[in-house]
Amino acid sequence: MRTNSKSNLKKQTRGSLARKEAQLAGILITPTILIVFGLVLFPAFFSIWVSFHDVSLGNLNDVFHAPFVGFDNYVRVFNDFAFKFQGVDSWGAAVTSIVYSFASTILTMIIGLIASLLLNQKFRLRGLTRSVFLAPYVAPIVSVAFVWRWILDPRPSGVLNDILMRLGLIDLPKAYLATRGLAILLVIIFQAWRYFPFAMLMILARLQAIDGTLYEAAEVDGANTWQKFLYITIPELRYVLGAIFLLRLIWTFNKFDDIFLLTNGGYGTNVLPVLTYQFSFKLFNFGAGAAAAMILLIVLAIFMALYIGIVMKKIEE
Amino acid sequence: MDTERSTLIEHIMRWFNLKRLIFTIMLTFFLISVLFPFYWMVSSSFKSYAEIGGREAVYIPGALRWDAYRELFDPNSPAFQDFLTNIINTIKVAVPTSLIAVFLSVLGSYAIARLHFRGKNILLNGILLVYLFPGVLLIIPLFAMLARIGDAIGFNIQDNLAVLILTYLAQTLPVALYMLTNYFRTIPDEIEQAALIDGCSRFQVMWRITLPLAVPALVTVGIYTFMIAWNEFLYAMVFLNNHNLFTMPLKISAIYNNPDPRPHVVMAASTIMTIPIVMLFLLMERYLTEGLTAGGVKG
Repeated sequence: MRTNSKSNLKKQTRGSLARKEAQLAGILITPTILIVFGLVLFPAFFSIWVSFHDVSLGNLNDVFHAPFVGFDNYVRVFNDFAFKFQGVDSWGAAVTSIVYSFASTILTMIIGLIASLLLNQKFRLRGLTRSVFLAPYVAPIVSVAFVWRWILDPRPSGVLNDILMRLGLIDLPKAYLATRGLAILLVIIFQAWRYFPFAMLMILARLQAIDGTLYEAAEVDGANTWQKFLYITIPELRYVLGAIFLLRLIWTFNKFDDIFLLTNGGYGTNVLPVLTYQFSFKLFNFGAGAAAAMILLIVLAIFMALYIGIVMKKIEE
Repeated sequence: MDTERSTLIEHIMRWFNLKRLIFTIMLTFFLISVLFPFYWMVSSSFKSYAEIGGREAVYIPGALRWDAYRELFDPNSPAFQDFLTNIINTIKVAVPTSLIAVFLSVLGSYAIARLHFRGKNILLNGILLVYLFPGVLLIIPLFAMLARIGDAIGFNIQDNLAVLILTYLAQTLPVALYMLTNYFRTIPDEIEQAALIDGCSRFQVMWRITLPLAVPALVTVGIYTFMIAWNEFLYAMVFLNNHNLFTMPLKISAIYNNPDPRPHVVMAASTIMTIPIVMLFLLMERYLTEGLTAGGVKG
C-alpha cells in the first residue's frame, strides 16, 4: 500500500514536471512560431488566395474584399509572351527557369568537385587557398553582380572586351549581357562562379572522411588514378552529390537577385522569380504575380518532395 | 658545368611530372578566376573618370585616386551620394535583425533541443521547409497583408525600417533555429540535469550553463543573420522608396542605374560593402565554415 502510494506520488510529480516542461517549451517557442507562422506560413497560404483574386494597386488597402476571378490570373500568366515557350529564340520564363536551374546546378557541382579534389591534395598554403575559394560565396551578391557587369561592360573599357580585342578574337566591343543566348550562358557561368564553394565545402568534408585503405587496396590491385576516382571516390560521394544537387536546384530555382541584378531578366534570361516580381511590382497586377509564384511553387514542391524523399531519408539512415 | 645543368634538368623533371603540371595549371586557373573580379572591384574604385570611360581598359590605376570615395562621402563633391547614410541604414537594419534573431532562436531552439513536447519534430521539419521557400513567393502576400494591417493600425509599411526588420526576422529565424538546435544537441544533457537536481530553475540552467557553452554557436548564428540582413536586396527594394532610407544594396543599384554611368563609384561602394563581410568571415572562419554547409548563407 505504502509503496503503491509512493509510486503514485512519483508518477504525479513526473506528470506535473512534464506538464511544466511543456508549458515552458510553449512560452519559449511562441515568439518564433508567431513570426514564422505570421510572416511565412500565413502569407504562403494567403498567396494562394491572392492568385485567385483580382488584386491590384487600387484595392490593395481593401485586399480581403478583392473580387474572385477563378483561374483568370493563371490564364493571364500562361498566355503571357514572357512566360510561354515560343520556339528556340524565345524560351519564355518557364523553360528558361528549368534550363537555367539545371545547367547552373550541374556546372556548379562540376566546378565544386574539381575544386574539392584540388584542395584534397597536400600543398603549402592549402588552408589559405581554401579561404580564398570561399570569397565568391561569402561576398554580397550586389557587389559581385555589379563587378561582373562591369567586367562584361559593353564599352571598350570593359575588361573582357579589351582582352578579346587585344587577342584579336573580336573586332568591335560586344554587349555580352544584352545578347540573346550569350546572356543566359554568362548568367549560368556566374552561378557556377559564385556557388561552387558551397559544393566544394560539402564534397571536401566527405572526401576527407573516405577510408584511405580503400585507395591502398585499389593500388595493390593496380588501379590507376582515374580508376580510383571512378570506382572509389564517386561512389563514396554519391549521397553528398545528390544532396548538393537538390539543394542547389531548389535555391537556384528560387533565386531572384542574381538574374535581376545581372540582366534585369532581359535578353532571354527571364525566370519565374523575376517574372513574379515584374507582374507584381512593375505592372502592379498582384493576382497574376501570385499566380506566377504558385506555378513556381508547384515545380518547387516536386523538387522538395524529391529532397525529402531521397536526401532526408538517407540522412536518417 | 654540364653535369650540373643535367642534374638541374633532372631535378626539374622529377619535380615537374604531368600530374603536378595539371594540378598547378588548375590551381592557378581557379585562383585567377576567383580573385580577378575582386581585384577588378578594388582597383576600379581607385580609377579616375577618364580611366573608367576610356578607349581601353586600365589594368592598374595610374595613381591611388580617391575620386570615387570622395563622391560617396564628401558633401562638397559635385555628385555627392551621401553613402554614409546608407551604411548607417544598413547597420540599423542588420544589427537589430541579428540580435533579435539570436535571442528568439536561443529560446526556441533550447525548447526544441531540451524540452519534451508534442509536435516537436513536425515543428522542426516545418521550419526547415520554410527555409526552402522562395522569398519572391512571400513578398506579394506580405506586402498586401502588411499594407492592410498598416492601414488599420495606422503605420506606413513603406519606408519603415522596423517593418523591414520584421520581414528579415522571418527569413533568418528558420536557419538560426536550425543551427542552434543542432548545437544544443551536442552539449551533453548531464550537466544540466545535475544543475536541475541541485535546485536550479530551467532559466538559471539556460543562463548559467547552456548559454556560456554555446557562445561560439551564438556568434556564428549572429554573424550569419547579420550577413543575410546586410546583403538583402529584394525586400528592401519593395519596401523602401525614400532614397534617404536606402540600404547599401539599393543605393549601389541606384548608382549603377544612374543615366551617367560611373562604375568606379559603384565599385568603391561595393568595396565598402564587401570588405567588412569578407574580413568578418576570415577572422571567424573556424566557426563559420561549418555553418556554410548547413545553409548559413541562403542560396
